[in-house]
Amino acid sequence: MTTTISRRDFLKGSVAGAAAIALTGVTGGVFGLKADASESNGKILFLANTSSGPIYDFNIAYMDAWMSELGYTWEMVYGDSSNDPAGNLSAVKNAMTSDVVGIILCQDGGVANIMEEYPDLYVVGAATDMASVYDEDGASAACVDNDHFLGTYASGYASGVDTGKMYAEEIIEKGYKKVAICMFPSFAYPQYAIADETLRSEIASYNETVSEEEQIEITEETTVLMFTNLDDNFFNEPENQDLDAIIGLCGGQAFLYAPMLTAIANGTANPNMKLLTSGFENDADMMADVCSEDGIVQGLYVPNFECLFSSIVMLDNALQGTPFADYEQSEVLDGTLIKITDREIMENIINESPIASADITKLALSVEDGKQYFVRYNEDATYSALKELMASDTFTEKGYN
Amino acid sequence: MKDQKMTGWLSQHRSILISYGGLIFCIVFFTIVTPIRGESIWSASKVSTLISDMIVTALMSVGAVFIYALGNLDISIGKQIGLYAVIMVVVGNMTGSLIPPILLCIVLSVLIAVVNGGSGPVFNIIPIIPSVVISQVLGGTITIIFAKMGTRSVTLKTIDYRIFKSPVVMVVVLAVEVAIAVLLFNYTKIGKYAKALGQNKTAAVQSGVNVIKYRIISYIFAGLCFVVAALFQMGYTGSASDSTGTGFEMNIMIALILGGMPISGGVRSKVSAAVIGALTFSLLDVGLPLIGIATRTTFIVKAIIFLIVVLMTSRKKEGTLPK
Repeated sequence: MTTTISRRDFLKGSVAGAAAIALTGVTGGVFGLKADASESNGKILFLANTSSGPIYDFNIAYMDAWMSELGYTWEMVYGDSSNDPAGNLSAVKNAMTSDVVGIILCQDGGVANIMEEYPDLYVVGAATDMASVYDEDGASAACVDNDHFLGTYASGYASGVDTGKMYAEEIIEKGYKKVAICMFPSFAYPQYAIADETLRSEIASYNETVSEEEQIEITEETTVLMFTNLDDNFFNEPENQDLDAIIGLCGGQAFLYAPMLTAIANGTANPNMKLLTSGFENDADMMADVCSEDGIVQGLYVPNFECLFSSIVMLDNALQGTPFADYEQSEVLDGTLIKITDREIMENIINESPIASADITKLALSVEDGKQYFVRYNEDATYSALKELMASDTFTEKGYN
Repeated sequence: MKDQKMTGWLSQHRSILISYGGLIFCIVFFTIVTPIRGESIWSASKVSTLISDMIVTALMSVGAVFIYALGNLDISIGKQIGLYAVIMVVVGNMTGSLIPPILLCIVLSVLIAVVNGGSGPVFNIIPIIPSVVISQVLGGTITIIFAKMGTRSVTLKTIDYRIFKSPVVMVVVLAVEVAIAVLLFNYTKIGKYAKALGQNKTAAVQSGVNVIKYRIISYIFAGLCFVVAALFQMGYTGSASDSTGTGFEMNIMIALILGGMPISGGVRSKVSAAVIGALTFSLLDVGLPLIGIATRTTFIVKAIIFLIVVLMTSRKKEGTLPK
């Protein structure tokens, strides 16, 4: 065996270095570096909880539009896929540069750690109820009193009670008689457990007011999905035979739709079984199914992506040193739901809204119209007006016509 | 004459020089480029970020060298870290001190090491299989613990954990662990036999090496390193979640390969690979955003740089990965 080495071998490392330098340079050019920060009001980090899909595409387009208007640069940062505090903190720390002035967080793991690490930064939540902040015993409960924490809005209703009531009303209205509930684990989504409980209690109350034939049966056990598809065996269990509908307290299009389709095709489930759930997938087949005559999905409740507007307003006001005169303390607001309950609404959402296309020319609230909610553009702008907007029909299905 | 001397020196230190190539490149490149882009990677805050980004991977990887030297892989490392971190928080909150949970974790790590290290040769199964089983068991245990608690993360309530966030403490602990590892790996039977078993198990056995004993001892040392790593992982945020440790075994593999560790173990294994690899990886983590690479792009850039380093550190003309 020889140990002879040439200079070429020694220089291998240098070649690697040169290649990598070229690579980073080329990659930077190909993928496009952000605008020169020297003329900006600073950089905003956006800690995302997704890295693909319609909400991801929308967030990029929406942030590009608003950040350009407001004079900030911005950077998408990918949070820990399981919302681990250490993972989120690492993601923020690694992306941190001296020009970062604020952070929008789509998940709450490690909020307190991030704020402790960077006390001068303004932090606002988006599409998360920030349970760890607003629960009394939450790991980040201290953030509530931090004036750099600017609140959040939930992905849909902040309270599981409202979600449970909404589904109960839909079940009654659609006349389903035998229903099963599937949901993500309560340790990950505590409000879903409350929604499950509320839904059951609402249906129980309803059953007391109607005759036996009209009563609704909810199967005894809620099926917990550990972030995986519903198991095919679900439909072989005796209590799940002849279901009229499944309520998906989860991203039902992603986790329930395909197993239901398979079960119906295999004859192991009621061919008329329906799904009421939340979330939005822009797969063509799934979109064609929603609320169509023979479609499985007969109710789709989509937290409107445009609610991100409120987080941008709160953050910009703080960064400009012009907070709302009537703003006192951070809170969690309800996120507006787009309730897709018939095909016409679905077609409208596909064609007239940016939900499926991320086309921001179709915003319910255009950048121009949105300016009135910023104190920098309108010194009479108020927090109560912003809250009113969030609670209005602007961001519901009625906002897209 | 000078040329000959130089060639001889290079020949003698060939593997070290090549495996250090990635790290040296990263240091030189980021030292030059990051100040031009506005913020030096050697600013106090970035050095602190760099150390905290590196510490857990480095501590784990140093221990994992003993396993990789045997020619084995341990799939359960991430779950071990996760479980130890959860125990430290939960038991720490119950007792008001970190000593009891650390002792408990040490006991657990020894038990896991005995199973992971011993069951392969005892039952004549591929060494990775026990670690897969252990990983599943630990993952299930973690899920049950969090389901019972009704939360996804737990936080230390009364114990001051700030010491584990100190970069100085991190560096000191890593230095001590590396020193012990180097001592055991290079100057005792533990390391020598581990390398011998990884190089040629049959020859090692015929030379009188007790396979089960030295495999278990190697796994025990690695396990103790994992407990130390878990302590810093938990101390980073004073919390643990149901996903703490997820994928860490892959981080270790990447770090060790970047550091020039032969995957098949054997005599070319070295402790330095752990630190070099972890530091290189963290330099990329921290440095790429500083030079303006968008976060969404850094994954691709890191992957390609990883590939380049692997190709450059390849020692066999016909091979690619360092075997």
